[in-house]
Amino acid sequence: MDTKETGLLDEIKSKFKVDGRVQREQRIWISTDGSKLMEVCKWLKDGGFTHLSAISATDWLKDGKYELTYHLWSYDDNILVTVKTKIDRKNPSIDSVVPVWEENAQIHERELHELFGVKFKGNPDLSPLFLEDQEDVHPFRKDFNWREHVREKFYNKENEREAVYYD
Amino acid sequence: MVKRSKKAKTMRKLIKAIWIFSWFNSCGFCELVPLVGSRWDMERFGMIIVGTPRHADVLFIAGYQTLKSIKRAKIIYEQMAEPKVVIALGSCTMTGGMYWDSYNTIKRLEDYLPVTMYVPGCPPRPEAVFEACEKIFGHVKELK
Repeated sequence: MDTKETGLLDEIKSKFKVDGRVQREQRIWISTDGSKLMEVCKWLKDGGFTHLSAISATDWLKDGKYELTYHLWSYDDNILVTVKTKIDRKNPSIDSVVPVWEENAQIHERELHELFGVKFKGNPDLSPLFLEDQEDVHPFRKDFNWREHVREKFYNKENEREAVYYD
Repeated sequence: MVKRSKKAKTMRKLIKAIWIFSWFNSCGFCELVPLVGSRWDMERFGMIIVGTPRHADVLFIAGYQTLKSIKRAKIIYEQMAEPKVVIALGSCTMTGGMYWDSYNTIKRLEDYLPVTMYVPGCPPRPEAVFEACEKIFGHVKELK
């Protein structure tokens, strides 16, 4: 069956040698590695995928990887392309897509930098968004012990009222 | 003629129609809405919400306060003219409430702002807000 989804997917596959599948109507998933991400993104942007809906990160603790997911929408074709890429958890850095989608991408990358500690090379402003004055706190990481963090930061074990939080 | 201290004289300026500046996060806003509505109508007592902290006597602070928002609350408090009063509404504001183990909310409001009156509850009853104001008036009247 030749639909607009399979047509687009074949084109991407032959051009960039990436994995991908048509998940269902109007949905395409592509997995790529970090080095090809910029090329793929630039090509998709020029091909009508002007709307970057979101960038999200998944923490695969056992694999030692972060999976970044870029959700792209095309108003011409009405297709949602999901570009996935895995990066190393110990040294989480990847090229920023700010040159491609500009401010649209900037705020998402800033948030991920804050919550997961992912470094986006080329993003002009990665200052904290919600966690002002909190250095090196990445609360959305799976191995972040938030209860321990809160006890250290806010509560005093000697205080009778607050000792209950240590039980 | 009763001889009053300087502090008592200053504080007695509070006894009038009090003007409110509200700093509400999250659901904290819903807590004051019944006060403005017709049933508990706080304008009967001359309590109105003003647009700038420089006109306000009372700072209402409600909803959980994050480490980011409490910095703004402090700036607002500093802008208010003396005599000024802070009324904390609801449990989240005072202790973090159900967010007691969040990395981002404050756990003791008195560490950040000088709180005059605590109105506990989730949400506090509108009557309790009036009672808090009345109690402040009472304390001021007792000041010598």
